[in-house]
Amino acid sequence: MKSAPDHLIHAAFDPVTLAIPFFVLAVILEVLLGRFGKAKSNYETRDTLTSLTLGLGSTFSGLLTFGVPFAASLWLYQHRLFDIPMTAIWAWVAIFFLEDATYYWFHRIAHERRFWWASHVNHHSSQHYNLSTALRQTWTGGVAGTWALWLPLAFVGFPPAMIAIQKGISLVYQFWIHTETIGRMPRWFEAVFNTPSHHRVHHARNPVYLDRNYAGILIIWDKLFGTFQPELDAERPRYGLVRNLGDFNILRAVFHEWIGIGRDLVRQPRHALGWLFGPPGWSPDGSRETSAQLKAEWAGRHGPTAPPAPSAAPAVEPARP
Amino acid sequence: MLYQFLGSAIAVALLVALAAWARIARPTPPLDEAAARRILADEYPQVQPTQVWIAADAAAALARAGEAALLLRRHGDGYTARKLPWTDLAAAKVDKGRVTVDIRDIGAPRFTLAWPADAAWPPEAAA
Repeated sequence: MKSAPDHLIHAAFDPVTLAIPFFVLAVILEVLLGRFGKAKSNYETRDTLTSLTLGLGSTFSGLLTFGVPFAASLWLYQHRLFDIPMTAIWAWVAIFFLEDATYYWFHRIAHERRFWWASHVNHHSSQHYNLSTALRQTWTGGVAGTWALWLPLAFVGFPPAMIAIQKGISLVYQFWIHTETIGRMPRWFEAVFNTPSHHRVHHARNPVYLDRNYAGILIIWDKLFGTFQPELDAERPRYGLVRNLGDFNILRAVFHEWIGIGRDLVRQPRHALGWLFGPPGWSPDGSRETSAQLKAEWAGRHGPTAPPAPSAAPAVEPARP
Repeated sequence: MLYQFLGSAIAVALLVALAAWARIARPTPPLDEAAARRILADEYPQVQPTQVWIAADAAAALARAGEAALLLRRHGDGYTARKLPWTDLAAAKVDKGRVTVDIRDIGAPRFTLAWPADAAWPPEAAA
């Protein structure tokens, strides 16, 4: 077992905490740009309240659950393979890429397996896509255990403080891309980095956009692993969940998928593995729809990448009760 | 910790107040059949409703496609939709100008539609 000085264990600063004033000012700016017609920006009052309260709650839920990940990270670091210096530039370059690749796989699992989707779903529960949506952070991520994906970094020898700082940098980066006020960045930037355009695709519930663009900072991982989808001019993103929530209840946003899993397990315990670790929308009899099924239906109607034609005019006269 | 929480809560309240003042929610005009069909086509593209009814307050709609019912209701400045068996919809009762349909979905447990007490329910009878 190897020991380590405190500055390698506890981060000297938290990028997210330092960025909070920037978050607040950026939301104010986005609202004002929308108010005065200078940019596309929509805010609905109750949706904004839900987003910001979920953000506030996530910081406190994180305080309750950070102990186990921290202890696990510390234990592995004490049994590390190498001593990676926190002062070396090459070490920061390495952790930048390794942390970002880890984030990609965390994010992909969080969308493609129901147990982890349950902890991530509240981030996607808004029908809006603005900077307040970025703050809809998980309350149950600590319980879901996806933090374990970052543990190998400590075992290899990256100091826990370094990992925490890089995770914070990634989270701060991902804030500004939750906006419709920015169309597309320069082509070279779009090719390498995650951008508002790429992340609009990720938050969209149009079938062609489902389960795409999991990137944190670099979009290269999606291109490398086959999950990249550019934003299509003819396919305006519609945001939220495939089946949107029926109200603004914060507890529903946080816990509805967990409760759904619980109900399914009680009803059909022999399908527990499928209910827990199948893709969201999986069911033993196929009566629900997974993203893959929705995408296949869409592709069957429009081809694999073609945007749909405008809706046809109604064929039946309206009837009122 | 307490000061951090209070400061954050004040910031949340101010930002929500700013959003309310800005009045930049998406427009949600009263639903008509064309709008309801367009939204339902996005929500359930594989379902072809044969008939659509608009709720009395024009904030919700329901549609029939064979043995399936589609429900649509305004939610903030967006919409929430669900599909259920028509028989489940028909089993709901009109009470004081409203119909509450139990969806058995934790994400949207029930839909309430403004429905005149003197109008037929289920709506097929009114067509």
